[in-house]
Amino acid sequence: MKRAAGLVAVLAVVVVLSLCVGDRWIGPGEVYRALTDFTGSDSDRVVRYLRLPRTVAGLLVGAALGLSGAVMQGVTRNPLADPGILGVSAGAAVAVVAAIGLFGIHSLSGYVWFAMGGALVATVAVYLVGAVGGTTPVKLALAGAAISALLGSVTSAATLLDLSTLNEYRFWVVGSLSLADHGIVAQAVPFVAFGIVLALVLGRSLNQLALGDDLAQALGTRVLLIRVLAGLAVVVLAGTATAIAGPIGFLGLAVPQVARLVVGPDQRRILPWSMLLAPVVLLLADIVGRVVARPAELQVGIVTALIGAPLFIALVRRRRTAAL
Amino acid sequence: MAVVRVLAVALSLSLLAGCAPSAAESPGATTVKNCGIDVSVDGPPKRVFAAYQPAIELAHALGISDRLVGTAYLDSQVLPEYTAAQSKAKYFKNLPSREELLSLNPDFVLSGFNDVFSAAGSDASFGSRKGLADLGVQTWIFSPLCPTADGKGDEAIDPATVSMDNVYADLRDLGRLFGVEDRAAQVIADQKRRIAAVSDAVKDAPRPTVAIIRPGLEGGGMTVSGGPDFGTVLIRQAGGVNAFADLTSKRNVKISVEEFIKRDPDYVLISGCCDASLTPAASQPDVNKILANPAFANLKAVRSKHVVPWLFANHSAGVRGAYTTENLGHILHPDLGRVW
Repeated sequence: MKRAAGLVAVLAVVVVLSLCVGDRWIGPGEVYRALTDFTGSDSDRVVRYLRLPRTVAGLLVGAALGLSGAVMQGVTRNPLADPGILGVSAGAAVAVVAAIGLFGIHSLSGYVWFAMGGALVATVAVYLVGAVGGTTPVKLALAGAAISALLGSVTSAATLLDLSTLNEYRFWVVGSLSLADHGIVAQAVPFVAFGIVLALVLGRSLNQLALGDDLAQALGTRVLLIRVLAGLAVVVLAGTATAIAGPIGFLGLAVPQVARLVVGPDQRRILPWSMLLAPVVLLLADIVGRVVARPAELQVGIVTALIGAPLFIALVRRRRTAAL
Repeated sequence: MAVVRVLAVALSLSLLAGCAPSAAESPGATTVKNCGIDVSVDGPPKRVFAAYQPAIELAHALGISDRLVGTAYLDSQVLPEYTAAQSKAKYFKNLPSREELLSLNPDFVLSGFNDVFSAAGSDASFGSRKGLADLGVQTWIFSPLCPTADGKGDEAIDPATVSMDNVYADLRDLGRLFGVEDRAAQVIADQKRRIAAVSDAVKDAPRPTVAIIRPGLEGGGMTVSGGPDFGTVLIRQAGGVNAFADLTSKRNVKISVEEFIKRDPDYVLISGCCDASLTPAASQPDVNKILANPAFANLKAVRSKHVVPWLFANHSAGVRGAYTTENLGHILHPDLGRVW
């Protein structure tokens, strides 16, 4: 309990930092005034219209990716699973490419629906392919990898064939929180809230699923239903996150691992921990990206990859030594 | 028989000599230096490929439109005076691949952008200039875009080389290579006269700061034209100052939105790109977006509605220099615009 309170406190500090740090440091007092007593000054506008939506986007995207990663790892019983593996990100990306290239949709609020739809279709496709002759976590993961690869090559082909209209896609695909504004954030809130509730409710069932399908069934768990609900949670969470910020790697993979290290194997604790820890990491990465490359910004997707890749390798190595 | 054999040997030897890449220059060769690379032709090139807007407009300006075997990747509509010539040219929407290019059998490639010859180009690359020369294809880049080494791209431009004088020198050199020296001299004279008219008219006027920004590329901030971009020269000629001239790492510099707000430029030009049918009007939605964004409401350019739909093509180094200087003169100094 104490550790959970600590994590919440850390998250609060990071949120405040995210509002204060930028091209110019704006102190917490001034930030508070900008949010409560808006005067329309430059710093008020920077806080209110740039840093606030960006910070809220970081919270939403982080919570969504962390949770969906935890659910994925729980339901596939594959510690290396993340939202990418069920084809969620690849499906969202293909749909966004189609939105830009075929339908000329250039606003992020337009992408959201395509990203969600693409994520859903891809996930269903993965499930249908993986379900042939009985579902197993491994088959599901393999089907996800295969369909991700297929969709990824479609995306690459489309972007290579039409460089000019897909220029913006090339920037979106890196992953950034600074694309978010109030409208997009507001649109995303209900989706993320729904996904969070659904994912957290699944905690106990995921614990039973961890015992293996047969034992879980014997204990009265409706395995198929749990899988469908988990898939729905992942699609909604990762699809929305992808639409807001573009694909951001490693977060959904690494954060649940860290959570597991801290709180043990109980999904009822891993899930909320992942939900709180991922935004901490994401916002910190975003803050770092804002200051290291001035006057430019490093996109948060790049920073998380830079931080995440070594972390991921460390985790894999650790696991391997443990298995030996 | 012996005579035939001697003739055959002599013939094949001369053919071989002809094929040997720049081993020994033939007496009729014309050689000029472009970005530190010798460009040598035995006679005016007959099969020219022009990549990117500035190169395509240059070819039309020099009157060699009928020698174009292909044109690729326009950033916008060509200037009205070249519309007819361009409509007759073979056009590739995207850059052709190296193989596609070579299959057109060009003897000369004119490029309006250096990345096409870079080893790791942002778009498809034709290969390094030396590599193409080895295949008998001479190449050209506008010298204000000279990378510091062959095979390098945009990041390797020396800002000191970015000037209209370099464009004039290029025109003179190309006039020699293509055997159209008089036409080149005319083009230069016309450019100089028109630019001087604008610069003279605005020389005592206040100098507003101008930001050229690229829409749609704002992931992680926004992209503005920095010091090495030709826009810096054109803005100066039209009586303004590039608000980001001090950022000299690249032509297109990524900055944070907060940095943009801090600089608070007097004018914001939206650099619309890239489609052969594009006009400035296509950037109007991006203009509206900036005007409506509450984060930008305090900017001088926003309050005075000086956010202008514009073209990427306008601030590329080339024969658009005079046109753009006049155009910018009208935008920045509308009250003086009757002079030119």
